[in-house]
Amino acid sequence: MHFDPFLIAALVTTGIAAVLLLWFLVRRPPLTKSTKVILLFGIGILPLMTAANGNVAGFHATTQRSFCGSCHVMTPYSEDSDNRESTSLAARHARNRMFGDTNCYTCHADYGMFGVIVTKMGGLRHVYEYTMNYRNMPVKQFLEEIEIRKPFPNSTCMHCHSTENPMWETVSEHTSTLERLRAGTLSCASEGCHGPAHPFSKEAKRLKAGGH
Amino acid sequence: MRLLQVSAVVTLLALALMVWSMLQPTPLPVMLAMTVGQGLGTLALGAYLFVVIRDLRRTYVRRREAEESKDPP
Repeated sequence: MHFDPFLIAALVTTGIAAVLLLWFLVRRPPLTKSTKVILLFGIGILPLMTAANGNVAGFHATTQRSFCGSCHVMTPYSEDSDNRESTSLAARHARNRMFGDTNCYTCHADYGMFGVIVTKMGGLRHVYEYTMNYRNMPVKQFLEEIEIRKPFPNSTCMHCHSTENPMWETVSEHTSTLERLRAGTLSCASEGCHGPAHPFSKEAKRLKAGGH
Repeated sequence: MRLLQVSAVVTLLALALMVWSMLQPTPLPVMLAMTVGQGLGTLALGAYLFVVIRDLRRTYVRRREAEESKDPP
């Protein structure tokens, strides 16, 4: 469970609203002006505050790695990020406090003006696909068969790694592939460069293709 | 009064769904809270407003009728 101030505010408003509503249901007072005002808080204002705070708390919760890992097919990915011994790209980013517990969201979110909305729409599609098609799929089969929906964009890496840092330019592979990296035709996370970000999934696919 | 009691129960249900999603933030509770929970909450608020507005109208009509009966034409 992830605690934040919005969660606390939502729980407090829920508690007060519940007390008011239970008082109304148990005591059954006459519908006077004061009863209407109490109900305005119990049915209107406080639940609206709960919904508003709950939405923000829910949004925060959906950016957590534990949320992504709550679908069983994602557990190898979240466990890899939790593993302090892992040297995968994802795990190394998870150990960076700029990513931390939200490393899945930070790397896989869409950015730009409507980035959050596009990300949430994509998340809903993932939930739909998982519920309808993959909820009973064994993790091993998932790793062997399922691919990321669209190629991971270099622009996401370039939010932090601008490709304009003098130190970055001292790496000859960077300078020789600069145009392709910026154009997105060569992935930063490709094998031989910095990837794959989740090596165990590629290993599973390789083993399957090799007939093992 | 009956409608207000139903509205109060529905609000409690909506709040329960929202709290569930906050205490166990996994896809199912979060989606249920943001769809069913908030839908129920909106319905309950609509029922409350309907009852209050109807009550205010009745009071207004009664007062007007009383005033009209006091003043002879």
